[in-house]
Amino acid sequence: MIRNTRTKRAVIASALITAGAMVLSTIPAQATETTGVTATSIKLGISSPKTGSAGLVYGKVPGAMKAYFDYINANGGVNGRKITLVSHDDKYLPRLAATQTTKLVLNDKVFAIVGALGTATHSNAYNAARLARNNVPSLFVNTGFSGFASKAKYPTAFMVLPSYAMEAKIMAKFIKDTPALAPQASFLIAQDDEFGIDGVGGFKSGGHTFAATPTLYPQGGLTSALAEGALTSLSAVPGKPILVLFGTTDTTATILKAAEKLALTNKFTFMAGSVGGDANTLLALGVKATTVDGVISASFFPDAKDATDEYVKQFMEINTKYNKGVSFDNTVLQGMNSAMLTVQALRAAGKNLTRTGLMRAIDTKGSTFASAGLAPLNYSATSRVGYNGYWIGQLNAKGELKPFGGKLTLYTTDSASAPVTASTFVRKSIPKNGIPNN
Amino acid sequence: MLKHRKKEDKKDHKKKSHSSIDSPRKRLFLFILGGWLLLLLSNQVDEFSLYQGAFVATYAVGIASIILLTGYSGQLSLGHGALMAVGAYAGALTINNLKWHPVVALIMATLIAGLFGLLLGAAVARFSGPYLAGTTLALAISLPSLANQFPILGGQQGLIFDVGATPARFGDEFSPYKWFFWIAALAALIIIWFVANIAASRFGRTFRAMRDNPIAAQLCGVNVARQKVTAFAISSGVAGLSGGLLVMLITGVSPSAFPLSLSLLLLSGAVVTGLYNLKGVILGGLVLVVIPEIAESLLTRIGGSENLAISLPGFLVSALLILAVMFTPNGPEHIFKRKH
Repeated sequence: MIRNTRTKRAVIASALITAGAMVLSTIPAQATETTGVTATSIKLGISSPKTGSAGLVYGKVPGAMKAYFDYINANGGVNGRKITLVSHDDKYLPRLAATQTTKLVLNDKVFAIVGALGTATHSNAYNAARLARNNVPSLFVNTGFSGFASKAKYPTAFMVLPSYAMEAKIMAKFIKDTPALAPQASFLIAQDDEFGIDGVGGFKSGGHTFAATPTLYPQGGLTSALAEGALTSLSAVPGKPILVLFGTTDTTATILKAAEKLALTNKFTFMAGSVGGDANTLLALGVKATTVDGVISASFFPDAKDATDEYVKQFMEINTKYNKGVSFDNTVLQGMNSAMLTVQALRAAGKNLTRTGLMRAIDTKGSTFASAGLAPLNYSATSRVGYNGYWIGQLNAKGELKPFGGKLTLYTTDSASAPVTASTFVRKSIPKNGIPNN
Repeated sequence: MLKHRKKEDKKDHKKKSHSSIDSPRKRLFLFILGGWLLLLLSNQVDEFSLYQGAFVATYAVGIASIILLTGYSGQLSLGHGALMAVGAYAGALTINNLKWHPVVALIMATLIAGLFGLLLGAAVARFSGPYLAGTTLALAISLPSLANQFPILGGQQGLIFDVGATPARFGDEFSPYKWFFWIAALAALIIIWFVANIAASRFGRTFRAMRDNPIAAQLCGVNVARQKVTAFAISSGVAGLSGGLLVMLITGVSPSAFPLSLSLLLLSGAVVTGLYNLKGVILGGLVLVVIPEIAESLLTRIGGSENLAISLPGFLVSALLILAVMFTPNGPEHIFKRKH
């Protein structure tokens, strides 16, 4: 209770001024349709892990994208505009992804976000940075979480990777159709977030039943001790059980190294999802080449070591010239492919570039873009799904992924209940010198 | 004679409390003035500055909770990030499950974290020094992982913490970042005012007595164990509010939002501010927001290796911490006071 009249007056006056100021507060300048675009430049942004444990695996993405954009800039840019890529490190932490993406939108004033990486990170960042409210496109999100295809929830987001649910359905079909695998007991070790849960759902809709309840672990939470414990208990299962690993590559490495330590590498058939099956990273993390040899994995890209593939060959050349000192692998391939899709989207949006125009261009023409992916792109007025298929392969001791059984078969499906079917899709040839001409 | 002296003391005390800025009335006036200035400021700066300003206010609340616990009551906590997580989850559950107003969610964040602190404090009140630090450190490491064990907490993915649209009375174009800033700044002002009042009250005096000499305090009739628990509970509640504000700004709460580094960062901010100095909490919050920006800007200019990128922010905070301990152990305010 304020007894002093003078103070009471001051308090009332301050409160009134405060209330008045709140009502009369100025309206901030709103983001426009052409923010980040000038007559000579287009500014794009990416928030992804560059340091930390995830940085070891995915840290090459922004550099690969920048290298491709530099190559395009050196060849005239997009409609006379040079592309700049602002890259911030989020260490794969949702808190940092939220602040870094907000920074890209509000401070760096980028035209669009490209290649944002991670499910938990980008779903937080998408909301925190108000991408929908500001109509900022989030192009080619590097995650297989099918939720990003929801136009209602993420109206400005475009997926590029096939969903984890699709991958799990295709793996389920592969196990069922492969005589050596079908009779074996199978087990799932998966990450305890939308990544793993999408996968668990996919196996279920693919009609696959595991011999035990899936083992779920938090991201980065599968220690060597836990892996050894899981393998030891499964080693009593008769035959050659299938161990499906639906996590990141560092976790796959932890499990494979645990198998090496326990001399159980030949006891199991290891089947790693595309996210967790990057052979280069496995070898770099200390997994023996003999252990990597024989691991089954899935991919929608050609193998990054296959220099006979026209896209891989072109991207390798660009990498050598514009991304000096960085070895070419699946991550670089993925980054450059997303950059190539971005350039085609910018071209398709025309000279009068707007955010709405860019998204409309992908909706209407995105499915015709040239890309390294062996599966079709599914963009349309009603679909934000990128690739929708996988082929199953087996890693060899050199870390190359070769089609299982010697013949590449591409399977396509959706994230819901559509059946898995073998596809006859043939991708477009690479544009001359890898420079889009759409 | 004695009566006369008592009268003089009373007069002197009254005079002091009137002239000092620590008097309750002036604290209230400064609180309202501060709010008014921040409100005016919020109309002058861009949206990103407002967003950063909201983080400064959020960290300031977190630092205030540490100053209350460590500076005033002499208990060392290395796990305030975990208490922030408790508040954040409580707030998210309030919004998502009970569909209550976000402001009520922030109040719930404060109360639930306070209650958690009360229970935890009752268990750890017998500890002091490194033992308490070790216990809270263990909490900071284990609590986020525990969140994965309960499906209601959303596992690794966590929960959405969406305060919804800005109030309709401000119009459709009203910036959500300004709304965040107003909420966070108001919360920070209320907390600073609240903690300052506590420090000046009977509680504050007993906390300080307990900090400076627990045995002497006990001899004077202070129930040290109970006061320790009280301090821990109040500090936890304030930390819970800070956690609620943090996840409001990032629109989601998950275990990875509260790493151990957050607890240590807040403690660093408190030391830079001056552990016994509540007036510098805004400065502490500012340091925590600005240092990564300075590091990134330096790296952009000089171009550094990946290792430098990883270590530079930590190096800058550590350097500042050492400098603060060496030259301004009681906070930056100390420098200006010494000149007089």
